[in-house]
Amino acid sequence: MNISFKINGKAVTVDTDPMTPLLWVVRDELSLKGTKYGCGKALCGACSLHVDGELYRSCSLPVKYAENKNVTTIEGLSENENELHPVQQAWMDINVPQCGYCQPGFMMAAAKLIEEIPEPTDQDIKENISNICRCGTHPRIIKAVKKAAQLKQSQKVQSDE
Amino acid sequence: MSKEETPEKKKKGFSRRKFLKNTGIVIGGGSLLLYFGRHKLRTFAAGFIADMDLPSGVSNFDPDFWFEIMEDNTILFKSPKVEMGQGIFTGFAMLAAEELEVAIEQIKVVPGSSVNSANDMAGTGGSGSTHSLYVSIREVAATMREMLRMAAADYWKVPLEDIRAENGMLLKGSESMSYADIVKNTEQWKTPKTPDLKLASSFKYVGTERKRIDLKPKVMGDAIFAIDTEIPDMLYAVVQYPEYIGGKLKSVDSSEAESTNGVIRVIREDNWVAVVAKNRYAAEMGKKALKLEWDVEKTWQQQDIDELVKVGNGRTVKLQDKGSASSVIKDDDIEVIHQEYRTSLGVHAQLEPNGVIADVKEDKAVIIMGTQAISFVKRAVSKAINMSSGKIEIRNSFLGGGFGRRYFKFNAPEAARISQILGKPVQVFRDRESEFTDGYFRPSSHHELKAVLNDDGTVKAISHTQATGDMGIKLAAGKMGMNIMGADFISAGHGAKFLYDFPNKKAYVEHIDMPIPTGIWRGVGMFPNGFAVETFIDELARKANTDPIEFRLKHLYSDDPIVKRMKNIIEILRDRSGWNTPAPEGVGRGFACGEDRKTVAAAAVEVQKIDGQIRVTKVTHIVDPGLVINPDGVRQQVEGCIMMGISASMYEGTYVKDGQMTATNYHQYPMASLMDTPEIEVIMVEGSAKPSGVGEPPIAPMAPAIGNAIFDLTGERQRKLPFQLT
Repeated sequence: MNISFKINGKAVTVDTDPMTPLLWVVRDELSLKGTKYGCGKALCGACSLHVDGELYRSCSLPVKYAENKNVTTIEGLSENENELHPVQQAWMDINVPQCGYCQPGFMMAAAKLIEEIPEPTDQDIKENISNICRCGTHPRIIKAVKKAAQLKQSQKVQSDE
Repeated sequence: MSKEETPEKKKKGFSRRKFLKNTGIVIGGGSLLLYFGRHKLRTFAAGFIADMDLPSGVSNFDPDFWFEIMEDNTILFKSPKVEMGQGIFTGFAMLAAEELEVAIEQIKVVPGSSVNSANDMAGTGGSGSTHSLYVSIREVAATMREMLRMAAADYWKVPLEDIRAENGMLLKGSESMSYADIVKNTEQWKTPKTPDLKLASSFKYVGTERKRIDLKPKVMGDAIFAIDTEIPDMLYAVVQYPEYIGGKLKSVDSSEAESTNGVIRVIREDNWVAVVAKNRYAAEMGKKALKLEWDVEKTWQQQDIDELVKVGNGRTVKLQDKGSASSVIKDDDIEVIHQEYRTSLGVHAQLEPNGVIADVKEDKAVIIMGTQAISFVKRAVSKAINMSSGKIEIRNSFLGGGFGRRYFKFNAPEAARISQILGKPVQVFRDRESEFTDGYFRPSSHHELKAVLNDDGTVKAISHTQATGDMGIKLAAGKMGMNIMGADFISAGHGAKFLYDFPNKKAYVEHIDMPIPTGIWRGVGMFPNGFAVETFIDELARKANTDPIEFRLKHLYSDDPIVKRMKNIIEILRDRSGWNTPAPEGVGRGFACGEDRKTVAAAAVEVQKIDGQIRVTKVTHIVDPGLVINPDGVRQQVEGCIMMGISASMYEGTYVKDGQMTATNYHQYPMASLMDTPEIEVIMVEGSAKPSGVGEPPIAPMAPAIGNAIFDLTGERQRKLPFQLT
């Protein structure tokens, strides 16, 4: 079955079983490898991406639900490499990743969080991001989310001026 | 599609033609071969040797190479050790840049393959990469710099001393050319004797704060892991291994699997069944449709495992016997303080499931994967497809976490076999359930500790016996090796000894033949042994009515350099963590320390009950790993060990029920999340001019320090991992 949607601003059509998890379509049909497979059960968050601005764990979202929608993955989070999304900039500033495998999922969750809660406290971050990291980057993730929120605020101030 | 380099069969020496062909040139050859040849006899099981100077295991049996100078004057560093998050690529680049006289940014570190880089027999592990290659990397880099200088001297026809190497440029007075330029203009290379290395006092990079060199790709989502890799015409396969402990494949009904949309073939081999399909979804659906029957000799239960893994049931190897502990500690003596401890089976739970590409042709096989042990994989693949190892190339990738998982159960033999049968490239990938139920496990353990105290509250005699499964001997030396060694005193018994200056002390490890495959897990034996020993020490301190830190300091007085370094960090930690200030109401404090591969570490932990749940709220951690190459790299490892220590001690365990493992995915294997993140302070001390390990040692004090803090808060002693919290 043909399913059309936009991914990172680009229109695509894939011919696939409509129940195929969006994750596999993004990774294997569209070759965007930044969205990771971790558990297949929406438990770990490594496959997190945005569909029409909402956060989803794409391992458990059949591709048919993306039809005619806008999908954003880690590759499309920043406008370009010189103008990083506040979350990716903060991740750079705090030197967050270790193995790096879970980080795209965390960053997608963080990007959504700072939209919902523009000035998150530690507690807000702890309660709202339930992704799993094995390397133990947790302390840096909390720091980086707060930093990202600040960067986003200051960008907003700049663009308002 | 991920880009894959075409492997190039390398030749001795260098030629202009080769440069033109590859837009890069190989620097290597005679002198490097000679240097690494020295290690040849020291490679056996090197990754697991814990109590001696860790050899790197790196050797050049072929004229392999480390560095390539690219046309844009960047330098490709083909690392024999793999990056799995521990930050060694950054440290390696810093060390190489130091002697190459280039900016760190000029160096690009990539994982070497089994044919294009220095052979690594030991694998990446044992917290040994930086420590074991600290001198080698600089010597190879210095040798290469000298080769470039000599070539420049020949080119300009001036004496060598007129040539300076700076910032990737060769300078003669006011004239200059880049390293890439001289490579283009050189036909014949001369190799110098290994040059003298820079003194530590003139290091430019070592000791400075550096961000990871793999930071940007990991932030942008561009870092490619093994499971992300594709090659043209690749098929996908999943493998069903025995669903029961000790299960033997009895019958296969694959009709439904074979008729699943997208499934190409079902392959039955020996004791596994593979479903090959055109995409992952079809492969997974096909696997779900398999109807398999297994012969199971014994249906194991957790109780059977607990009864098996018990002191007295195994083959004993003595690790330590000083003084006359046996005659002081008599079992019928009421003076003897006696406690038992247990740890559960553990799972690595690294986030990237294993994925292996195999492309097996008539006379050549290429394996692309993420492994901590290229040489073991090569051996296993060679056996599986009956091909000489010289025709097999193993290419490594970034590892989405290692923690010991990627020393074992490679999937590579299965992938190679499937590719051989199909005559097509295939990726075998594991789903999470397979990772949880058919990986390798941290063996469970049982510990008996006994002690007699003097009237002044000091330790008169102490003994520790640990019963546990194998962690690495079987892998390195086979079953026969295990029989010769008796027990895995190298990995599993690691940390069972006492560092303290007790007059009478002895330690044993007992090997238990477990029915479940077991292997190394971050910290190897140090994790369970550190828990048992340091909890017992805390219990003794309480018995002796002595502050737990003072109790330990009382027993650290000898001139042994490790003892001195341990004493030093404990004193610093005591003062910096506020240990001697009264704890606020509702706060429990605990302390523990550990020595691991010449790195000493200690932690002071605070716990509180929050909304009815005990949480670690503050960790002050101190580590002395000797020379620190990249402080932020060390800090990351310490933070990682703190979080993994919290996770493993508070939550993690998998158990056996009706012949299967209870944890099949993350929901059945609770782990630390952001909710568990405490306030953290990391203190670093450099007690030696040489670096020692840092990936694992900082985990040593975590479990006991937390358990001791819980006792301080609740009065309930934690003698099992994970903790039994009500």
